[in-house]
Amino acid sequence: MSALAFANPAILFGLIALPIIWWLLRLTPPRPKTEVFPPLRILATVLKREETPSQSPWWLTLLRMLLAAAVIFAIADPVINPRTSSLNSDGPLVLMVDNGWSTAVDWERRVQTADLLIDDAESADLPVAIAFTAEQSHDALPGSAIAAREKLAAAQPRPLVPDRARAAAALAQALTGTRPGTLAILSDGVVAARDDDALSALAALSPADIRLIEGDGASAVAITDAVNNAGTMSVTASRLATGAPRRLEVNALDAQGRSLASGTLDFAAGSGTATAQIDAPFELRNDFARLAVEGVSTAGAAHLLDDGFKRRRVALIAGESGSDFQPLLQPLYYISRALSPYADITQPNTADLSVSIPQVLEGNPSAIIMADVGRLPPETAAPLQQWIARGGTLIRFAGPRLAAAPADDPLVPVILRQGERALGGAMSWSEPQPLADFPSFGPFAGMPRATDLTVTRQVLAEPTPDLAERTWASLADGTPLVTQKEVEAGRIVLFHTSAEATWSNLPLSGNFVEMLRRLVQLARAGGAASSGTGGDGAATTLAPYRLLTADGILTTETGTARPIAIAANETPVASFDHPPGFYGTEDGFSAVNLLAPNTVIAPFEPTVAGRPIAREGLAGGEAVSLRPALFAAAFALLILDSLVVLFMNGAFSRRPGGRRTGAGATTAVAALAIALFAFMPGHSQAQENAPGSAAKPGDEEILERLDTTHLAYVITGESDVDRISEQGLEGLSQFLSYRTTLEPGAPVGLDLTKDELGFYPIIYWPVSATAPMPSAAAISRIDAYMRNGGTVLFDTRDQYSALDGGGASANGQRLQAILANIDIPPLEPTPEDHVLTRSFYLLSNFPGRYTGSPLWVEARQEAQASGAKLSSSGDGVTPLLITGNDFAGAWAVDQQGAPVLPTVPPDEMQREYAYRSGVNIMMYMLTGNYKADQVHVPALLERLGQ
Amino acid sequence: MASIGQIVEQTPSSEVLSRAQARAALVPDCMVEAKRIANTVISGWHGRRKRGMGENFWQFRPYAEGESLSRIDWRRSARDDHTYVRDREWEAAHTVWLWADLSPSMMYKSTFAHVSKESRALVLMLALAEILARSGERIGCPGVMEPVSARNAAERLATAIIHAPITSGLPETAMIRGQSDIVLIGDFLDDADRVMERIAPLGRRGLRGHVVEVADPAEETFPYVGRTEFTDPETGEKLVSGRAETIREDYQRAYLARRETLGNELRRLGWSFVFHRTDHLASEALAAVHGHLSGLPAQRPGGRA
Repeated sequence: MSALAFANPAILFGLIALPIIWWLLRLTPPRPKTEVFPPLRILATVLKREETPSQSPWWLTLLRMLLAAAVIFAIADPVINPRTSSLNSDGPLVLMVDNGWSTAVDWERRVQTADLLIDDAESADLPVAIAFTAEQSHDALPGSAIAAREKLAAAQPRPLVPDRARAAAALAQALTGTRPGTLAILSDGVVAARDDDALSALAALSPADIRLIEGDGASAVAITDAVNNAGTMSVTASRLATGAPRRLEVNALDAQGRSLASGTLDFAAGSGTATAQIDAPFELRNDFARLAVEGVSTAGAAHLLDDGFKRRRVALIAGESGSDFQPLLQPLYYISRALSPYADITQPNTADLSVSIPQVLEGNPSAIIMADVGRLPPETAAPLQQWIARGGTLIRFAGPRLAAAPADDPLVPVILRQGERALGGAMSWSEPQPLADFPSFGPFAGMPRATDLTVTRQVLAEPTPDLAERTWASLADGTPLVTQKEVEAGRIVLFHTSAEATWSNLPLSGNFVEMLRRLVQLARAGGAASSGTGGDGAATTLAPYRLLTADGILTTETGTARPIAIAANETPVASFDHPPGFYGTEDGFSAVNLLAPNTVIAPFEPTVAGRPIAREGLAGGEAVSLRPALFAAAFALLILDSLVVLFMNGAFSRRPGGRRTGAGATTAVAALAIALFAFMPGHSQAQENAPGSAAKPGDEEILERLDTTHLAYVITGESDVDRISEQGLEGLSQFLSYRTTLEPGAPVGLDLTKDELGFYPIIYWPVSATAPMPSAAAISRIDAYMRNGGTVLFDTRDQYSALDGGGASANGQRLQAILANIDIPPLEPTPEDHVLTRSFYLLSNFPGRYTGSPLWVEARQEAQASGAKLSSSGDGVTPLLITGNDFAGAWAVDQQGAPVLPTVPPDEMQREYAYRSGVNIMMYMLTGNYKADQVHVPALLERLGQ
Repeated sequence: MASIGQIVEQTPSSEVLSRAQARAALVPDCMVEAKRIANTVISGWHGRRKRGMGENFWQFRPYAEGESLSRIDWRRSARDDHTYVRDREWEAAHTVWLWADLSPSMMYKSTFAHVSKESRALVLMLALAEILARSGERIGCPGVMEPVSARNAAERLATAIIHAPITSGLPETAMIRGQSDIVLIGDFLDDADRVMERIAPLGRRGLRGHVVEVADPAEETFPYVGRTEFTDPETGEKLVSGRAETIREDYQRAYLARRETLGNELRRLGWSFVFHRTDHLASEALAAVHGHLSGLPAQRPGGRA
């Protein structure tokens, strides 16, 4: 108990290093001459770093020594800590020690305080009676100091609310009329039930001296309530010390104790309650098992959450990734607008179905909504079906893709006819159909008939005997609009019209919202079936599963805890037999929390005979740490030093520059100080800032790819094909650089399985039957690339191979195999007035090394009904081009720029036209349908001329 | 101690022009070797002043049997009983593009030199313009002046440079068509590879090129001693050398190796390479470039001009 003590005296050995620091600080190089030198880059290649030392003034060194010494002393943490104590020697010492939830943080100090009192009693030769308020049984008989110390050592803080009345009664019983000399109450400062009884029992003992020993109450912070809102979880907390404003972090932890999210409790000055908002995505919030106040590890500052409040999660998947600037044309827009108030919506971040569906299933949603997904990648169908069988609800919307999908799709509730049916229009007698009344069964039963709805397009179901009972909504002419099928525990629902407003005005109406809401309510919440409490209100007895320790941590040790009977709609109360924790099994459990919702922590202010008891702090309570003052001094010295160094280097004179001399030393000292801060306990935020935000490893390459446009080709694995591809694209790049403003970089070979495809406007794919077949994942990535607006130029290079034998060539068959599992739009040979024929040169055909093969492009939609727009994402640019003319062969040039392969027939004009075809294709890729607008110029001029 | 090198102000065009004209007066008229021009028999103006392909009217002459009817000038023929054909003047002017690097690194002048590199480069460029204009060539400067064929081309070039924006790096050369000469004057302190990366496409397009490297003596001899901080005038980058004299040899080796590489690469491209130090007379470089332009073999290939 010295007046000045060091918390970490070992750090003082750091002072030994001061002479070394002195020596280092004296060595700082002089200012260099400055020279302008243009060939600096050449110089940099030969210059090695070297420094010539010289000396800095002694007083600056002394300043820095003081700085270093201050930092070292600060870390050693000197504390001024005086304490005095005395006991009344009239009778035994009676200790009533609170070991409830809020004492866990400073339990050591409480034990120390009690120990000191027992020491005093021992030296005064007084018996000691000790009782703990949160214990079940009390052994309060006065005994020797040694026995009391043993009891004290055996006592632990409990995750319970203290019951002082019982402890007081036990003390009164044990003392049997002996008048205690000193009654010391080691209080946790929080008022508890039946405190008045306790006080009257204690007053009845009529002790000579009553001492109330309290902590500072900083640890008496408790989470009293948590409510799961739509976007955030709001956490209410109460505290004891209402004086100063206080800011606390609330962490949300999962069952394993990992921190998932956090919020901030802002206690205003004088206010005892605060509310924190934990802003976290809904999946995360469903994983929350426990809320804990950071830095306050007590059972009260922890709040347990069971799974009674989870929201339903709905995953949305679209068949086409629409453009963000046309949200009204995207099917998911209407669905997410309709559902966002009722459910939590997740959308996969990729259009690649073979990635997005497993990703979505991983989240185990209640329902998946697929808008116009035609063909599913085959490997995803099985997990999807398993998920449905386990209780998932799949809701699908029709659309052009679904209408074009094959009829054997297992994931539609009814057998569909291929193609869609159009109602109304110029060439049709039929009228757009309104809805019929909703049938009396199904989730839509009871909804009013929708009068303002019309459906102009739908997919039709093959009539089957059970079609009527599977139909939840139908049109006025009896054709089904919504059909469903139950698959084991799950369900598939199909809307026979599209989710955006092109096929019907259903998505624009309020009925859409109501229908979707009812369907999602029908879906089960989460994957796990919640066993737990039955709906009948009967009490269930649940065994302890995980219990909360006094430190606010979950443990599997159940100790003396007994099974708890929990009735439905009743908040269980924690007690000694039922400490707070989770009760139940892993599959379903209920949380028992320490404090009832909306408890307010009030201070314990005991009065004996109408007058308040004098209070004192715990041992070490008045400890004054010199650490902040020392750090402040060190920081002031650091600033002074920096100013001095700047002044010495002429920063304040008119000429800038040349301040390198001492800045290095200052920076070193600053870095040292920061590093020391970082090592100190309680300054963990400095550590969090330390790792800088480094760029990700692949970023440079990506930036390089984005800087200039690159032509890309698919690496087939056959070296000769790949070489010709590269040389061909090199030749085309050169031609483009000569003739157009486009100057592409070096061609890039792509490995479909791992390279990022999105950087390239077009990918050249020489199809080769002898090359290894690309994997399903690679094809799926190509599919996603095309969905996202990219274009693939397939070159079968087989224009003349058909002469060998009839039918499709080997390369052609390989192309068919590649495209078999991809949604491809209808194709046509490039029509005469296609943009490709005029995007740069005027061309009538597109020869490569061979001539004669048409260039197949996506059939244009203008000619057809506008509702069936398939490739809106690509701005009208075809997602794939197919030719057999071997473009790359014609474009290929060697190092000297000479053509590599002859054209067939050998005609240099044909090569020129091949290059022009390449230019036109590139221009078409880069400018989209811009040139198509030119087609309308005569019509526009004619209209203007009226 | 005062710095050895310094960045000087941009040299006024008029001053450079007068100096350039003085230099040009010392050099005989330059007749660009017109090896790509078919008819070199007629002296003076590259065999122009005769009918041939071109745009300007040259003469009417009577139609001769066998000529294409489409060439008959019907307007002239209608004025009398004969039929006439309109001839045009053969325009086969040879174009010489001149370009000098005026980036900040060129403003450098050390105590060993009389003028800055920029000043010397401008003098060389304008003197060349003067000489070439005297022999009737078309003079252009990429990005600054379209090619003109005028006796006062040097003056016009000087005026154009005054108004031209400050640029750095090699010029935009898209407007240069083949069959012309280009003279690049600069310090070419980048890596030889990077310089060649820009120049090689020009060479492959068929331009004939002449590269003049202007260097300050301090850059070549590296006369620095002691603790020195070097600053790059273009990037502002700084390097500190503790004892500059210790790295002199290494530096000189690297510096000369770069020049060697550049010279070899250029010669392989069929271009000429002349280097010039600002403590020598401008006429030396001028004579060397003049020689290359006239197709004379360099007297001391690779040597100092």
